[in-house]
Parts: sequence; C-alpha cells; structure tokens
Amino acid sequence: MDNHLKNTLRELLVALADDELILGHRDSEWCGHAPILEEDIAFANLALDEIGHANLWYSVLADLEEADRQSFVDRMVYWRDAPDFRNIQMVELPNGDWAFSMLRHYVFDSAEIERLNVLAESVFPPLAETAAKIRTEEYYHLRHTRLWLRRLGLGTAESRQRLQAALDQLWPYTGQLFEMPGEPDHLFALGIKMDQASLSWEAQVIPFLGECQLILPAGAERLLNRQEHSRHLPILLAEMQSVARLDPEAEW
Amino acid sequence: MPDDTQWPRFQVFVQVKPGAPFLDYGSVHAPDLELALLNARDVFARRPDCVAMWVVPAEGIFSKTVQELQDWDSAPASDNAGNRETYHVFAKPMHAGAQTLLGQVEASSPEQALRLALERYENKKPAFAWWVFPARLALSSQVEDIPSLYAPAREKNFRLSTDYKTITAMRELRQPDKDG
Repeated sequence: MDNHLKNTLRELLVALADDELILGHRDSEWCGHAPILEEDIAFANLALDEIGHANLWYSVLADLEEADRQSFVDRMVYWRDAPDFRNIQMVELPNGDWAFSMLRHYVFDSAEIERLNVLAESVFPPLAETAAKIRTEEYYHLRHTRLWLRRLGLGTAESRQRLQAALDQLWPYTGQLFEMPGEPDHLFALGIKMDQASLSWEAQVIPFLGECQLILPAGAERLLNRQEHSRHLPILLAEMQSVARLDPEAEW
Repeated sequence: MPDDTQWPRFQVFVQVKPGAPFLDYGSVHAPDLELALLNARDVFARRPDCVAMWVVPAEGIFSKTVQELQDWDSAPASDNAGNRETYHVFAKPMHAGAQTLLGQVEASSPEQALRLALERYENKKPAFAWWVFPARLALSSQVEDIPSLYAPAREKNFRLSTDYKTITAMRELRQPDKDG
C-alpha cells in the first residue's frame, strides 16, 4: 500500500478506536452508580461493547503495522498521554446526569452507525469487515438509547428539562462526529465518504429529537480538531492507566 | 405500597436454540415491556446462547404449586364468562428446575386455563408448580433481532478468574512471611 494512504489509514484507525475507548471508559464509570440495577448492568454491557470495538480497531492497526496485537493494544491504551489521543471531545466529557449520558450515547451511536455504513463500503477489506461486524451491536445500543430518550423527553417536566439541558451542552460538539483525520483525497481513495454519513445522520436525528420534544440549540458549532482535548481527558486517563503504570512489567 | 418506588417486575423466558422450550430465567424491573425486553437481554443473554426471549408482566402470571392445588376450588363456575384466548402453560418439574413451556390452551380465564392444562398435562408431566398467562401479555423478541441482540455474545471470549496469575502471584508474595 502507498505510504500516504497508509498514513491516513493509520490516523483514521486511531481516531475510530480512541472514540470507542474513551466512551467505553465513561460508560464503565456508571458501574455501581446507575439509577437502577438493570440499567447499571446495561451500561456495564455498553462499556464492554465499546471497549471491545476499540480493541477491534486497534487490532486492525496492529496488523497494518505488523505488530503483535496484544502488546500493541496495551501500548495504545495504557502508555499514551492525552496529547496523543485522537478522540472527539464529546466522549471525554464527564458523565453528568443520567439524561446527559443517555443523550450522548444516543448521539454517538446514531452517528457511529452512519460512520460504519460508510466504512463498510471501504475498499480496504479489514476496515470494511470490522465496520460491518461492529455495526450489528450498535443497532442494539441505538435501540436502547432511543427508548430512553423518548421516555425522558416525553416523561415528566424534570426529565424533559434535564434532557434539553444535556442537548444544549452537547449539540455544539456534534460537528466533530464526522470529522476524520487524514487527507480528503486519501479518504476518497479508500472509498470513505463521510459527507454522506453526516447527511443521513442529520436526516434521522433532527426529526427524532423533535419527537422527543427537544429543541435544537441555536448556538454555533464548536470548531475542534481531534488533537485538541478538554481538561477532562488527562483526568480520565490518569485513572484508566493508573494500575497498568504502577508496574510496567506485570503480566495480566 | 406507597413507599415502593421500584419499577414493575417482568418475568423473563429464554429459548436457547430454535425448537427448544422457553424456560423461566428470572425477572427484571423495567418501566415498561419494551425496556423490559432490553433489560432482560442485558441481564440474561450476554453469555449463554439465546435465540428468543419473552418478557411478561409478573402480575399477569397465574400460578399454583402442588400444595396450593390441593386446596384449590376448581369448580368451573365462570368458565364461559369472558372471551377465549390463548394461554401459555408452564410447569416446573422439580423443586430445583426452571418453569418450562409445555404448550398452549384456549381459555376464557386464568383459572380455566390452568384446569385445562392440568387435564392435558398433569398425568404426562407431574409438576411441582404451574404457571399460566395470556399469550397477548408477552413481548417477544423477533427473528430479525438475533444478529444485534444475541449473536454478538457468542463470539465474545472472556477470561475466567483462574486465567489471571493473581493467585500464584499472591502466593509468592506471602511466601516470605511463612519462612520468617
């Protein structure tokens, strides 16, 4: 493979994996704290799924680099610092309340499915196959979060107000959902058409949020790139990486 | 119960492979049937095989144990009162077993459904306890749900606690204490 193309692919895979890893870690923070036992288990499952998806993307990258999968993935997860992460900012924000976490998951899942639809058409087979595999599980995530959004949006005055507050906070970050790193020409050469994903995402999310009695905030979109992070990411990483970094030689 | 803020309870029935009888797996709390089905998937179908699932409001299940049947007045007084509908019949073969789907009967009340079930199944399948409920109360997962709800779990490998070397490591750490 052409080196330029390989670089774009490399950056793309890190971005995809980091999004899943950081959201998965945030999901795991609900463990023991969700409003009811069943939802606690549901969020632990979401966490495991997202971290599993991150593992799949890092493994595609490991194969591309001809590296040993397990040690490569460990290195990516535990031994990089915040400036090296390429996740979008939305996933690193603290969990907030239940409405915020649920809305973020809905927004991310609905966008992820559209991203995966596009990636599944890529001409690079490992990328296309992994996208198709992850997609089946995301349908379930989306089903869960959609049910909850409807119930919170159409529930009580308080649940609707909390969901609206979450949307007001999150919406400016959504511009980043379809921003992928790498040269546009290279992404095109790989058969990846993110513009298409973005359009079909908007076409389904905006009406659905309306059905949930939510009002889209008028404020401007934040212009962010994947190298910029909030102050929340280093704190998240410090906790996620603390055990691994205590003893670099430990075997697990 | 004004102090009870718990959501309603739903009984969960699982089919582990096509054609197998549905088995009672336990219950989940949920605000409604749709979320009950998803909660049931998360609680009961993550590891073991599962191809279909039913959730049923727990209060909709009419149940009798063998002891209760002895005192049960089974006089068919109001059998023709309501419209007939399909009831699922479950029985628990032993004290320790799970409630297992035996089949369906057409009845106009839970009492009549149980009486018909006893007539049909009791001699063939002596049971410790019986459950009947109208089929319309159950929400079932669909065949098209299999790829997203159940299939991914099959490919997930997980490590048993014994796969980790913690126990050996702890033993080595403790060793000096014993010697000293």
